[in-house]
Amino acid sequence: MSRLNASDRVTRLLAVIPWVASQPGVHLDEIAERFGYPRAHLEADLLEAVQFVGVYPFTPDTMIEVSLDDDRVWIHYADWFAKPLRLTSEQAVSLMAAGESVLALSGDENGPLLGGLTKLGAALGVDQGLDIRLGSAPEETLDLLRTAVTDHRVVELDYYTFGRDERTHRSIEPVRFFADEGKWYVSAHCRLADDERVFRVDRIVDATLLDETFEPRGEGGMHVFTARDGDPRVTLEVAADAAWVVQQYPNEGVEELDDGGFRVTLAVAAVPWLERLLVRLGSSASIVEADPAIPVNLVQGTAARVLARYQADQ
Amino acid sequence: MSKLERLMNLLAALLHTSVPMTAEQLRQRIEGYPDAGPSFRRSFERDKDDLRSMGIPIRVETVPGTDPPVEGYRIDPKEYAGSDPQLDPDELAAMHLATNLVRLDGVQGDQALVRVGGLVGDGQGAESVEPLAALPSDTNLGPLFDAVRTKKSVSFTYNAASRTLDPYKLSFLRGHWYLIGFDHMREDERQFRVDRIEGIVEIGGDATTARPDGPQSDRAESWELGDEEPIQARILVDADQAGWAKHYLGRDSVVADHADGSAEFELTVRNREAFRSFVLTFLEHAELLSPPELRNELISWLEELHAGASA
Repeated sequence: MSRLNASDRVTRLLAVIPWVASQPGVHLDEIAERFGYPRAHLEADLLEAVQFVGVYPFTPDTMIEVSLDDDRVWIHYADWFAKPLRLTSEQAVSLMAAGESVLALSGDENGPLLGGLTKLGAALGVDQGLDIRLGSAPEETLDLLRTAVTDHRVVELDYYTFGRDERTHRSIEPVRFFADEGKWYVSAHCRLADDERVFRVDRIVDATLLDETFEPRGEGGMHVFTARDGDPRVTLEVAADAAWVVQQYPNEGVEELDDGGFRVTLAVAAVPWLERLLVRLGSSASIVEADPAIPVNLVQGTAARVLARYQADQ
Repeated sequence: MSKLERLMNLLAALLHTSVPMTAEQLRQRIEGYPDAGPSFRRSFERDKDDLRSMGIPIRVETVPGTDPPVEGYRIDPKEYAGSDPQLDPDELAAMHLATNLVRLDGVQGDQALVRVGGLVGDGQGAESVEPLAALPSDTNLGPLFDAVRTKKSVSFTYNAASRTLDPYKLSFLRGHWYLIGFDHMREDERQFRVDRIEGIVEIGGDATTARPDGPQSDRAESWELGDEEPIQARILVDADQAGWAKHYLGRDSVVADHADGSAEFELTVRNREAFRSFVLTFLEHAELLSPPELRNELISWLEELHAGASA
């Protein structure tokens, strides 16, 4: 915790004051820890600010009384602040969402998390109003990967690489497990690539947990997609109705056009990824410039391949 | 006189008073403000903004007996304080761990926890405390949560049309927030992606439709979010992609499992364009089988691209 500004201090004090008032003689260290309030700041703020808080005419009977003795604190006459400030709506969402999603993962039935969440929901007046699913993937694969991360065990994967549109077999050393944009990922050292890779759990066709253990080589990144220097670049013009492309993919330069569309440059880690994008966008996108590795008539070729499938059985 | 002390005194004054106080009264009674004038005004506005950004509800009301009416300020103690959930230490510790694992963008979990009892435990579980996920936030998320909570109707613009909804719940699904509720114009349950709501939602009066019992449907698929007449479509997905597709689309939608590992799925489509887009993500590894109408539309789409009409 670095420097606290006045607002940070006010929000903490509004929680500290009612709590200390209800726990006479509580130790400064305990308050500091419970409210994430560095002790030196806490002590100074109690003595130099809270002491002088009150209402007109600021006679002793209209002011808060703070006493400190041997690092123990007493607060009296703080009736305006007898109850903690309520949660903001966003804070309420964040607590409920965190609790709900961890509960769904751990499945702890009668544990303290469910207890806390139920009380919190009741206090906020919300029941069944929030439904959180961080990601979607087969339960057994998730369990297997969690075990692998915790116990540092090697996993053999049969994996469908969506971007490259190919199925591969490899061994990985999983180090981190996370959800992003509704999908579960595991980041691992991949023995096939001899490098760090991020795998989407729902693209794992089959996983086997080995007895072999490994020494973790790092913390594992949470970057789902990182452009590599060697990736070919493509510049597209997309129409206004396909502007989501600009938001959805990390780009390397975007320019708004007069008609509301965009000219955007993207790194292409795998050509099938670009094929999919273009065949879906149809006339809403066109290639204006591309690395030689990317055929200019990419979309015509892709359309022909997909079309062949339909013509074959007609 | 520190800013901290001035803000705390301003709060005490606003909570203490039962009639709205004018800016001038507050200036006179609270130490640390500049003399009356523009610099006081700026300083007072900034303080109010600071307090509001902490979630403190400052009411602006007409001071009784003033003519012409003069604006005054106060804080209703009932609106200021939340109801205390009375969490036990082990419940607080479990919430502490949960907020370290799953965050909502733009919200500090610790700052939320101190308002419901404080940070208990070290926030670490037996396993790792690497964050599991950060959920995206949205300016409308807080107000919508309040509307769900307090059962108020909401109005907003979506796809350039206005909607009035009695919201049942907020869902986080497939990486996005959705609002589900009863749409008064369509007279049916509808679902909306929160990040596609245009502008700021307006909170209306009490909701008139009660949330139905049992779970509400979660139709988060883009091709199910539409107002078109629903049609049943069937697709065939090749073996390599079938496993993923079964998981993604749900086993309920599987209508045939073939010996070669490929599988057929039946899906309800309310948005044809989005459905075409979904089928095409499989490239040549899937085929739209029926109805002929959708199949032919897809073929024409591909033929046009193949001919280079769009290039």
